[in-house]
Parts: sequence; structure tokens; C-alpha cells
Amino acid sequence: MNKGFVGRLRTALGLSESGKEQVPPFELLFRRFRDVLESNNRAIEVITDMGEKLGGDYLFDIVYVGSAYSQLADTLTRSMHSFDLLTGSRYPELRGVYDRIDTQIREMMYGSPQGQDRMVVSLSDITRDMTHTVGGKFASLAAVKNSLSLRVPDAFVITTHAYDTFISSQNLIPLVEALDNGTEVNEAALDELRDLIAHATIPREIEEALHNALENMRTKCGERCFLAVRSSAEEEDSESSFAGQFETVLNVPLELRALEDAYRKVIASLFSHQSVNYQKQLGYRIGKLKMAVGCMVMVDALSSGVMYSTSPNGGSGTLLINATWGLGKAIVEGQTDGDFYKVKKGTAPELIEVKGGKKESMIVTLSEGGTALVRTPEAIAGKPCLAAGDIEELSRIGMTLEGHFGRPQDIEWAIDRAENIYIVQSRPLRIEQEGESEPASPVSLKDTGPPLMSHRGIAVQKGAGVGRVFILRHLDEIGNVPKGAVLVSRYDSSSFVRIMPYLAAIVTDVGTPTSHMASLCREFRIPTIVNTGEATELLSHGQEVTVTVGDEGETAVYKGVIEELGNRADMHSVTMEQAYEFRKKRYILRYIVPLNLVDPSIDQFLPERCKTLHDVLRFIHEKALMELVDKARYGNTMIREHAAVKLELPVPAGIIVIDIGGGLNSTAGTEHASFEQIASFPLRAVVKGMLHPGVWHADAVSLKVNDFLSSMMRVPDIAFQRNDYVGYNVAVASAEYTNLSLKFGYHFTMIDCYCSETARNNHLYFRFVGGATDITKRSRRVQLIAEILKGYGLSIEMKGDLIIGRIGNVRRDAMEALLEQLGRLLAYTRQLDAVMHDDFAVERYVRNFLKGDYEL
Amino acid sequence: MDRYRIMVIDDEKIVGDMAKISLEQDGYEVETFLNPAPALSRLQETKFDVVVTDYKMKGIDGMEVLKTVKTLYPDTKVIMITAFANLDTAIEALRGDVHDFFPKPVRIKELKASIRRALGIQ
Repeated sequence: MNKGFVGRLRTALGLSESGKEQVPPFELLFRRFRDVLESNNRAIEVITDMGEKLGGDYLFDIVYVGSAYSQLADTLTRSMHSFDLLTGSRYPELRGVYDRIDTQIREMMYGSPQGQDRMVVSLSDITRDMTHTVGGKFASLAAVKNSLSLRVPDAFVITTHAYDTFISSQNLIPLVEALDNGTEVNEAALDELRDLIAHATIPREIEEALHNALENMRTKCGERCFLAVRSSAEEEDSESSFAGQFETVLNVPLELRALEDAYRKVIASLFSHQSVNYQKQLGYRIGKLKMAVGCMVMVDALSSGVMYSTSPNGGSGTLLINATWGLGKAIVEGQTDGDFYKVKKGTAPELIEVKGGKKESMIVTLSEGGTALVRTPEAIAGKPCLAAGDIEELSRIGMTLEGHFGRPQDIEWAIDRAENIYIVQSRPLRIEQEGESEPASPVSLKDTGPPLMSHRGIAVQKGAGVGRVFILRHLDEIGNVPKGAVLVSRYDSSSFVRIMPYLAAIVTDVGTPTSHMASLCREFRIPTIVNTGEATELLSHGQEVTVTVGDEGETAVYKGVIEELGNRADMHSVTMEQAYEFRKKRYILRYIVPLNLVDPSIDQFLPERCKTLHDVLRFIHEKALMELVDKARYGNTMIREHAAVKLELPVPAGIIVIDIGGGLNSTAGTEHASFEQIASFPLRAVVKGMLHPGVWHADAVSLKVNDFLSSMMRVPDIAFQRNDYVGYNVAVASAEYTNLSLKFGYHFTMIDCYCSETARNNHLYFRFVGGATDITKRSRRVQLIAEILKGYGLSIEMKGDLIIGRIGNVRRDAMEALLEQLGRLLAYTRQLDAVMHDDFAVERYVRNFLKGDYEL
Repeated sequence: MDRYRIMVIDDEKIVGDMAKISLEQDGYEVETFLNPAPALSRLQETKFDVVVTDYKMKGIDGMEVLKTVKTLYPDTKVIMITAFANLDTAIEALRGDVHDFFPKPVRIKELKASIRRALGIQ
């Protein structure tokens, strides 16, 4: 303990352990710190501006994105330069981290042939920043396996880099590029391209990588294991689902030839008429989308299916599970009805509705590879395929995934013969937000006569559609469906996507609300009813009808046109989110805005943990401050050189101020300043709060024996406070900024606040940690502070007796009030944990504090 | 009833895409063009109520679009948007009878308000 302290003191005094290191004069130190601060503030301004302009409310172009980003990069580079000077280049890794993020962003903006150069990546090696290399589907699965430790079958991914290599080795680039030349899809060109891909030679470097991956897989799971080879296009499963648009080849043996065939099939499906139409409808430029291909070990599935972690049609708070015997393909392709379970979410999930399916047919794997649709054995056909325990476990998984991804998920799962649940896909589920589309208006239907069909089937997408019935007998007829038709079909199929934007409504006899087609219908907001049993019998070809699906999932088809319910103009309008170019540009924000480095007091606060530019900024800011504050806290020299000024306050707060520009109204060379001389707006507000009558209790509250022991162990430097200037509270202040590090009693608090006239640039960061007394009392105080801060609108994170609170975009006057309250709170809670003897105390003191009663 | 027709010309796809999506939400009929040349020949065929055009494009610039539109349809309103806003371009545009002039990025709400003013609706 002693040595650490002395060591720091020596460093602060310019006497490093070796006694040779030179500490720059403090004036210089401040200037460098101010440079860091100014660059950082400027960078935050640019980040805020980009967030606003790229948020969907502005028309912007690449000129804006480019110039805003180069401003950001400039200020960050400047900040890093000053930071290196300030710290004596103590964090050399930071530059490498910054360069990596910068390269990712620039590649995304301007495109780059480089990037990840691996042909194959194993699922366990996939990290969050690899979406563009492994595609959306497998990036999500990797998160499920690697972050959540849920069971996901072993897999490897053939990357988008392999895709580039494959396409360019076959001289296919000109053909691919030629696809993007007009509004009409050139079907002949697509056919030719797919044919070339089907017969293409796999380049040597890909072949070698596949060979090694297969060897690996054999070692892990033996010869008798098979692969599901599935698409994982760059943006698949992100904003647009691409549900059922690409090929999946099931049960592929671990042989190079078989795998290569499957790979070619999946790649070719990127250029199928159906998927190209879909891409066009979503605003993609044809030929720009790259495809990674995932190869996943097949689960020997007893049963499988789909789960929606939130019911799409009303009933939030519930989730849906669809299950069938054998492979789940039967469900997503709408070939079987399956069992249907509705579960109320909660700590104890509760089954509230069951509809057993007939499950007449099922898909099974064949021992020589491939799959077959067979008649379900009679012994199990009508039986439910999930036990109560399975439903409960699945529901918990669904809630976990929804929590992890922060939005409802469309999950594919399988249960093997050992009754293990595997997740084979998790993608965002599109659910209409309240008010996103108008509900079908409650019109009088008296004159329309009885409906042709009502309360039949399952609602997939609410809304109303008017048109002539087209009864589709065979998929080949799909080209004949006229615009504006109500499509009525025996089965559902994701092939409908080709004509989906032109349809008024879709009604099917068989099908599930969790199929690929159902996902697409929600994406395009086509009113859809599935599983009606006999719509193809009840409705006649050419008949004019109105299809309605209500908010509560009630369904009906009426004869004739009901104007009030008819097609609305916005029915098929895609939202901004679905414009590919917009999404692509906005995507760079993911590498800029989110803040992952939150808590500097734990080990993870390292340069290599920075994932975004915001993290880099945060790291620089925190470490630059520590540099300055450490020197001030332990540096008598600071005071001697008049670089720091002691605040003379009516309460013994013991604060010294390092003025980095406009922080104090004092003449150079003074050693003391009064409250009136504080010019720093945020510092003044906090101190004002501390001075509020009644909040500062002069008498130390008596500590019990174990409190005292515990405080001795937690605060090693406490025995050395005899030295006048050691352990001072330090405020670094400029006119609009303050960083205040306080050690009151036995706990540490940090307030970092920037407060200017421009609300959106303002931020407040509050950190509270430690304290004497035993852990129960400490946690009571933490609870109290958290309660009060939440009341002020701060977002709070808690861990043990650490609290981090943040708020931004606050008006100057509101920030002033907030800081003053914080000042009061800090003074008030200095010794509070010593008197918080029970949990009721928390509530009592919160109530008292908010009332302005500061008695202890 | 015929809907108002709006043409958007910008050599960056993202601008046209975003404009189309947001204007169609308000019930306008929108056509977008990446190049001014095909846009101008489309104008020969049919009239648009408002033309929103980028100022600086390869080949034909926004001022030329403005002149052609005004020659063909004096009452069609032209709104100019540009990434390279300076006073000179703004003055030149305003002299040329442009309805409105916005620097990019332009807030979609403002563009919509300007279009409504151009059409005399509120």
C-alpha cells in the first residue's frame, strides 16, 4: 500500500521510480488537456450531427457523409496526438484500434476490394464486427452461440470474400454488373448467369479452405454427420428478412464434391427471378448484394419448428410456437399445419392456447443424403410434438433472444433425440408498431350481406384489401395473376413475393403464421389470412371481394367492394428503413455512435475493447483526466506553482480547482478562490447544491467496529491523509465544462459535465463507487442514489456498489437545476450509509430528500 | 382524381430513393432519375407539377433543367437542392425563377412544406 502511494507521489513530483523522467510544466499539461477536451467536444458535435442527419428525417448524399466523417476523423486524430503528448504515449495500442475502425468505416462508405481475406470462418470465431464477411444470418447465430451460450449446431461459413473470389475467377463480373442497368429485370440474363454458376469451377483457394473445414468437421462430429448449407447474404436477417428467398440444401454429406454442388446452388439462388424481384422491390441494386454461405451440422430432429418471441397480431406479452415432427422445413414452406402454442411470457411462462395440427406429412433426412417428404406415421401424426417442459424451455429461450437482440425474434429451432433444443436461426421479426398503419375502420356492414367467409384461419397481417379473386391452382400460373388481385391458394409459398407488392390480399387453405410467406406478407403489409381450410372452395375465380383482417385477428371476406375498407394509398409503401442505399449509409453509424466502454473502474476499460469511435473518445477523455487529476491529487507542486487554486467554502469540501480556461474569476498567482469566483457554469451549480442549507452534516456519524474495519481495507490511502494536499478533491474546470473527482468519507464520486447553450451538445456523466460500512448498508445507499437519479431522468447502470448515470441533450437551465440537485445529493449522502440500518430506510431517505428534508 | 406528380433528379440513388419513399407517403406520384438527360426527355412526354433537382450534376446542371422546365411548362415549380451551396449559386438559381433552394442535407419536412407551397396547398 505504502509503496504504491509513494510511487505515485514520486511520479507526480517528477521523480519517477528511476528518478529520471521529466514531467512537463503544468501549464503545458493543461494546454494539452484542453486540446484533448476541445477536440473531443468537437467530435461529439459531429457525431450528434451525423446521427441526426442520417436518422431518416433528412435527404443526404455521400458528399455529406464523406465530409462529416473526414471532420470527425480529423478531430479524432488531433485528439489522439494531444493525448499522446499528455500521457507520454502510454497507450500505443489505441492507434491500431482507431485505424481498424476507421478502415471499416471507409470501406463501407467507398467500398473496398480488401477487407477480411478468409475464405472460411468457423462459427465460434465469428465476432460482432464480421457481419459483412459472414452475412447477417450467421453473425446473429454466432452471437446466440458465443455470447448467450445457447445450443447452436456446429458450423462454418464460406465468406463474402470467397464469393468475390468465386465470381471474379469465373469472369462473371461483367454479367453481374450488367444486371443493374434499368428498371426491368432481364430474365434471360439471369438464367444465363445461374447456368454459368451451376457449372463453374470452384477456385483452388476456396477448395482448399473447404477441404480443411470438412476435415475439421469430421474430427469433431464423425463421418455420419451431415450439413445444412444455407444462404447468409450480407444484409439477410437484418432489416429485411429475405425469408425463403434463397436456396437451402439440406443433409449434405461431408464430401467436397457434394459441398461444392450445394455452394453453387445457394450462390445461384441470389440470381433467381424471385429473389431478384424481391431485391428490386426493396431498392437493392442488383448484383451489389454479396452472399456468404453457412454450413451447419444437421440436427437429427425429432421435432422442429418456428417460434415468434412476440405474437405479431396483438397480444403483446405472448409468444407463439409452431411445431411439427421431423424437419422444420415443412412449416416454413407451408407444407404442413403443425401444432400451434401460444404462451404468456413471464418468469414462469404459461401456456394459454393450444391448437393441435394433423401433421399428415413430415420431412425426414435420408441416410444417403438429401431429404424426403413422407406420410407421418399414424402413431404420432395427430399427437402434440412438444411436452410441457419443451414449451417452457423454448419460451425462455425466446425471451432471452428477444432481450439480447433488443427486438422480437423469428426463431427456428429443432429438438434432437436426446431432447436437446438447438437454435438454427434467429432473425428480427417484423411487427407493426402502434399507429404504423391505420386499423380497419369500423364501418357499418349492414348492406353488404353476410360474409362469404368469416372467423376462419389465422390472421397474418391486418388491414383490408379489395380485388378480384385469382385462384392459383399451380405455381406456374403465378405470372398470370393480375395486379390488384386477391390471391387465393391451396398452399402458401414464398414464391408469391414476385407479385406480392401488387396484390390486394392473400388467402390460403393451408399454412402457418410463421412461414416464410407470412414474414414477407408482414414486410409488404399485404392483408393475409392462412389456414382457412377451404377458401379455394368458398371463393370463386374472378369474383370481386373485400378481405378484412382486424386488430384482434378477426378475419372476414365479403362479396363485392366495401369502399370504406378498400385499398389505402399507403398500403404498399415501403418505409425508409427498407431503402437499401439509406440503410447502407446509415450502417456506418454502428461503428461511430454506440458506447460500449462505460465503466472505467473495471478491467475491460482497455484500448482494445473500443469498438466504436465514441469508445475511443471516451477512453481518451477518461485517461487524459486521470492523468491530470492524479497529478493534482498527489502533487504539492501544483499548489506551489499556483496552477491549482483552493476553493474556500463555508463547508469543508476540500476542493482544488485546475482552471483550464474560464473556470475561475481570479488573478494569476492566487492560491484561494471563493464560491463567488467560480465562473465554470457546471462547477458553480454543483457547489451551490453542496452549500444548500441543511444538506451538509458537520458531525461525523459514528461508525461501528465492522464499518471501520471494512473502510480500512477498502481505502488504503486513508492512513496517509495527514499530508496537507494529498487526497484533495479535484475539479478540472473551464467555462462550460467540469470534471469533479470527489472523495467524501469513504466513497468516490465523479461528475463529468459539459454544459453550453446548445442543448444537444450537453452531457452529464455521474459515477459513484465504494463507501465504508458493510456491504448491505453500502448497497442501500447505492439504491437510494439510483432511485433519486432515475427520478431526474438519468439512465442508470448498477453493478455492486457502483452506479453510473448518464444523460445528454439537456437544456442549460435544466442542467443547472440537475447539477444543483446532485450537489445536494453528494453532500447529503456523504455518511448516509452509516445510518441506513434497514431497507425501509432507503425509501424514507429518498422521500425526505425529495421533500427537501435533509435530516439524518 | 389525379394525384400531383413530382419528379426528382439527383445523381445519387439514395437521394431519389429517400425522396420517393417519403413523398409517396404523402400521396404524391413520384418519378426519380439519376441522370438529367432521360429526365428531360420524360418531361417532353408529360408534365410534372413540381421538379426537385440537384444543382450540380454531370453533363447537364440544375440551371439547364430549370430552363427546360420553364420553357416547356411555365407553371411547373422547380426546387433546387445542392451539396455545394454558396451565395452565387443561390443567387443564380433565384434569378432563374426557382421556387426554392436548399442546401443538402435538407430536412424532409422542409422539402415537403416547400412542395405544398409550390402547389398552393396547405
